[in-house]
This record gives sequence, C-alpha cells and structure tokens, in this order.
Amino acid sequence: MPFPSSQRIAITGAGIVSPLGSGWQANEQSLAADRTAFKPVELFDTRELIAKTAGVVDLPAESLFRRCPPHKQPFIDRGTHMLLMAIREALAQAGRSGLEGIDAIVVGTSAGAMPLGESYFEHAHHDDARVPAQLSRAEHYQPQRQMSSIATEFDWRGPIIIVSNACASGANAIGWAAEMIRSGRAKRVLAGGYDALARLVFAGFDTLRALAPSGIPRPFDAQRDGLALGEGAAVMLLEAEEVRQSAALGEVSGYSTATDLHHLTQPDPAGKAAIRTMTAACAQAGVSPAQIGYINSHGTGTPFNDVAEAAAIAAWAGDAVAGIPVSSTKSSMGHLLGGAGAVEAVICLMALQGQWLPASLNVREVDPAVRFDLVRQFRRASLDYALTNSFGFGGTNATLVLQRRSA
Amino acid sequence: MNARDICIRGVGAVSSAGWSAAAMHEAVLAGNPMPSRPCARPGNVRNWPCESRFAPPAPPEKVARHPRLRRSSAITRYSVAAALEALTDAGHDPASPPPGLGILFVMMNGCVNYTGRFYDEVLQNPAQASPLIFPETVFNAPASHVASFLGVDGAVSTLLGSPNSIMEALDTAAFWIGSGIVQECLLIAAEECDWLSAEGLTYYHPKLIASEGAGALLLSASGGGPRVREIIGPLAYLSWQERCELLPQLAAQTLAQVQGPATLINDRTGIHKLDQAEIAAWSARPWDAVLSPKYVLGESMGASSALQLVLGTLAVRQTQQPVVISLPGSNTAAYSCVLTP
Repeated sequence: MPFPSSQRIAITGAGIVSPLGSGWQANEQSLAADRTAFKPVELFDTRELIAKTAGVVDLPAESLFRRCPPHKQPFIDRGTHMLLMAIREALAQAGRSGLEGIDAIVVGTSAGAMPLGESYFEHAHHDDARVPAQLSRAEHYQPQRQMSSIATEFDWRGPIIIVSNACASGANAIGWAAEMIRSGRAKRVLAGGYDALARLVFAGFDTLRALAPSGIPRPFDAQRDGLALGEGAAVMLLEAEEVRQSAALGEVSGYSTATDLHHLTQPDPAGKAAIRTMTAACAQAGVSPAQIGYINSHGTGTPFNDVAEAAAIAAWAGDAVAGIPVSSTKSSMGHLLGGAGAVEAVICLMALQGQWLPASLNVREVDPAVRFDLVRQFRRASLDYALTNSFGFGGTNATLVLQRRSA
Repeated sequence: MNARDICIRGVGAVSSAGWSAAAMHEAVLAGNPMPSRPCARPGNVRNWPCESRFAPPAPPEKVARHPRLRRSSAITRYSVAAALEALTDAGHDPASPPPGLGILFVMMNGCVNYTGRFYDEVLQNPAQASPLIFPETVFNAPASHVASFLGVDGAVSTLLGSPNSIMEALDTAAFWIGSGIVQECLLIAAEECDWLSAEGLTYYHPKLIASEGAGALLLSASGGGPRVREIIGPLAYLSWQERCELLPQLAAQTLAQVQGPATLINDRTGIHKLDQAEIAAWSARPWDAVLSPKYVLGESMGASSALQLVLGTLAVRQTQQPVVISLPGSNTAAYSCVLTP
C-alpha cells in the first residue's frame, strides 16, 4: 500500500556508472547508439563455467578515495568505487561539493563486498596460522564498513541504511528514501544501489543455468536463454520540493513493494506481485497505465522472468497495453543485481529528460507473451512518466514511477 | 508516527541459552557465560584457539515444518522459531498470522554456512557447484523464507549493517505502521555461527567468542506492551577513537530522558579493552540492574541488538521500570534506546 501524501520529491542530481560508461553523458550516448557492453571476464577464472562474459566496468587507474590511507586502499571494493563515482556525479549535478545537509544515505546492494569475503575465505583455507591482513578483510567485508569509507571521504556522519533485497535492492533503496521524505522523516536523502561482479555470484548464476551460454541476453525474445551479469552503481539525490536548492531533473512520484511467495528464485507465472506493485505505485503517482510513457522492465532474459513480467504488464495495463513502450536495458549492459534498480531508475530519468526510449537489443523473434510495444531500437519519444520494475530472489518486487520535470 | 509511538507486543528469541526468550532471560539474569566449544575448520586445522557458543539443538516442538525450510540453514530456523514465539507472545495464532503483517529483517553476516559451502564448491570445481545452495546464500533468503512460512506477501525487507542498525529498522517499522503500509511488523535480527565468522572475531580480540541466534519483536501501534520511548542516534564515528569520545555524549543524551530507577542492558563482552569506554560512559548514575547479554550469550553479531531488545522488553514487563539499551556499535555509529512500561 503506498503512503498517501502530497509531498513532492524532486530529483536534483543523479550519477550512473555502468558497463556502458561512467556518467550520464557516456551512458546516454551508448544507449542512443544501441551499443552493448559485454566482454570476457578477467576479474576471476571462468574457464570451468558456461558463461564467460559480462558487462564489466572500466574503473579509473588512479585512486578515487583521497582520504583512505594507501595500505587500506586494497580493501575498498570495486562496487564501493563505483558507488563513490556515482555519488560524486550526483552531487556535482546538484551543485554540491559534499554531503552537508543530507539527512541520510540509503543504498541497496545484493552482494556487498563479496570479493573481500572470497579473499578472506581463500586465505583462511590455505593458512593454518593467523594472517594479520585477515582482520582488514573481515572488517571491510561488512557493507557498513565499505559505506563508512565513503562517509570518511565526505567527513559525513549521518545515518546510512543498507537495503539488501537481492535484485530489487537498488529500487527499494530509492523507494525507501522517497518514503523517508514523503513521511517527513527526512528532507534530503541520497539513494541508490550498487554491485560489482564477484566470483561466487557469477558461479551461482552459472550453476542455476540462468546465464546465457552465448553471453548475449535477449530479453523478450522467444528463444531467449538467459541473462548476462553486469556491474555498476547509480544514485539519486532526492529532496523535498520545498527545500530543493537546485533545478529538479525529475520527480519520484510513485513507489511500491510487495513479496512474491511463489518460489525463492522463480516468479509467480502470472506476476501477481508485480501487478500489485505497478498498480500501487501508479496509484501513488496518480497516473493510469495509459499515462506511462515508458517502462524499463526487469527484463532479465530468462525464460521464467520475462513471460511473468509480460503477463503482469498486460494484466495491469489492460486495454492500454499495446500503446506502452517497454524495453530492458539489461540487454545492453547486463543484470547489475543490487545496482540494477537504481541504474534503471536513472536511465528512466535520462529518458524523461531527453525524451527518448532506450532499446531492448538482441531480439530476433518477439516472444508471443509480449503484448506491449517492445522498443527494439533507440527512438525519440514524448513522455511524462516512466516506470521501472525490479524483481529479486526471495520474491521482493519493487516498482518506481518517475515523472518528468522541466525546471 | 515515529518509533516512540510503537509498542512491543510480543518477543521471541533463540540464543546459546536455548530456544525461547525466557531461557535467554534466565541465563542472562544468572550472569554465567554459556558453555563454548571449539569451532572446527572443515578439512583443515588452525594453530590458535577459536571457540563458539552455539545454540543448542532445537526441541521437537520448535521444529517448524514447511517446504521452504527443508533446505534452509540455521539462520532461517532460528528466525522462524523466534518469529513464531513473538506472534504467540502477542496473542496471535501463529497458524494464521494477522493480516497486514510486515517483516523487517536485520543482519550483518547473513547466510554464512551456505555461502562458505558454496564458495568452497566453486573453488573445487565450479561446474559441479550445487545450484540448490546458491539461492540460500543471498542475504534476504531468511526473510523470504519467514515470509513464505507466514504467508506475508506485502512489505518484507532486509537491512544490512552493524547490529545496532536495528534502530533504523525500528524507525522504519514505526513509519510502515503509522502510514498503513502494514498493520503490525515483525522485526527480526538473526545470525548463524560458522568457522569463518568465529575466526574473524578472534582477529578483533582472541577472547571474543562467536555466537548465534535470532531475536524477534512484534511491533504494533496499539495492543499493549512496553513502548519504545526514545531512540538516540545515530552518533556516527569514523574511528574507534571517535567512538570512545562519543559514548559519553550518547549516555548523557539518553540519561536526560530517564528519571527514577531503571535497568541498563549494555553491550559488554567481558573483554576490558573492548568494554571500557562503554562502561565508563554509563557509570554516571546508579542502576537498579545491569544486564550484559553478550557476556553471557556470546557475540552474535547482527542478532545481538535484537536480543538486547527482547531482554529489555522482558525486563520492562517484570520491573515496570524504564530500561536503557546501550548499542555502541563497533565500526560506524552508536545508538541507544529507552523502553518504558
């Protein structure tokens, strides 16, 4: 059930780091060019796995954490680097140099600093004696400790909330932040999500046969055979309308979350929880399905997900379904897990700002379950509202509705 | 509505003292550390001592049956047992939980047993790693299982962080209840022991002993029960030194809210180096009683703050006096909380 309130929530800054590029402009250019970003994974050994490619972020060579002593730098996770980059871009876009005046940070992550946990495990397994660096690995494996590195970078001492609802984490974090503002508990919240590639997670999806053997995800294709993993981060600076200090890029006008009890990893075939979240988020935003100008679907490219989501969109939209443009940007950058919901929300914001629609790439034959307008090429459009779905392991479903703002 | 408007209608706990809140209460009042035993490394040895205080085997009446629980690890079984006890304690029939129930889950380490096992399989031969185990490694798997067991299809969320991030969860639960997103909310925090976590703690201090369990609180806007009168914090710190400097400020702000006889439930481990700043901070006033669950039960990480809250609830019920809960945290922020009749 959405929280009823007239409080408007402005988005005054956004940052995005994805396999398509670092920053708003790089991602916009890549999406406009219908570019994909998959390449062989070199972060860990994939020789024994079926899938060997992913959407990989090229991090800058120089250190991003200026206040972290050199001996601690190796314990800052890749995902945390991406998150810091996204935060810096969002703050710059909002005309801010730091986190002063921010009431809280809410971030979503599915795996946290998993590579540090992996390293801890490997050292523990191989050494029968105490290894001093294990303390740093154990300490920095904790997601709140990674976030503390970011807080140190800005000398910031506010509350940090870490949401971990698998692949819905990023969307839940933005929704959580919006609820904090809508309820009056906060005026200004930085929210988003992140995840970096990790060997355990990659192998996990591989064992589930959820990864496309070809490495090419084809969401909503009739012959789709799985997803591709990716990594990245995105954040939004959300401000109560009456306190915003810079131009609004858009607005978070609706949010809802629900739980699909069907199975730990498989969605209910009818997408009942998704129908509930789309309905409730639109009710909170005060819009009908016909007013939604774009849906960035969860669209993983797995057989079960896409057919369930297509069914849910059709049931939710009713007669309006054929006129609603839908795509999955996971087709170009992969599934960013805990970062996906936030990255895809920022893509919706970019689409609203730029008045365009990103494509579902790699589709050869559209699945018969698709009754909406599947966007297969980048196109210009006129839209005022965009909706994004995120569904996670464990059954967490989340829907965000974003609204265009021109000032 | 904020957290100070909600009441704790029911509590449940699994700990190294047993499978009920009462067993934990009794053990903590007695004040003797629960027995520990060596935490073995599978397939390897270590050349330093490392012990854990494990939860005892579940009594038959505490073994919940559900298809989802067949494969789940200890953290889920503890969570389900604590949740059912909290519902029962609140007067609900656990077989038909109240409509409009939400679940907020808090953890720090999470599903470490399956995570370690799965990663071990990946290192040995990823092509043969079990696809059944991987989904159980995800942080929100226990919350999903509890939701499935209880049939909760609304708001269910998992938070990661220091044990005291349960204070942010309390605040959120109050918001969920106040805004009608849920009618009542189960707040659960849980952890399970494994050799990796147990070793990890010994790096912080050789005498720090890992433990496990779950604490559950059924929160509601009405219906009676101790109330969350005040949450102080977060007082964020970026170093241990800052933490030590902040704790007197935390205590002063908290004590300004408490008049008359009261009980303190602290975070004391029994290790002077780790405890001294906290003990000094709260020594400014006399206490009717001081309870130290971590000293008795062990370091249960993400579950520890929930166990303090469960204990605090029982103490308020018993004494009809305020209870102050000290939640200094270890690496990000300090909180405290005042419960009243």
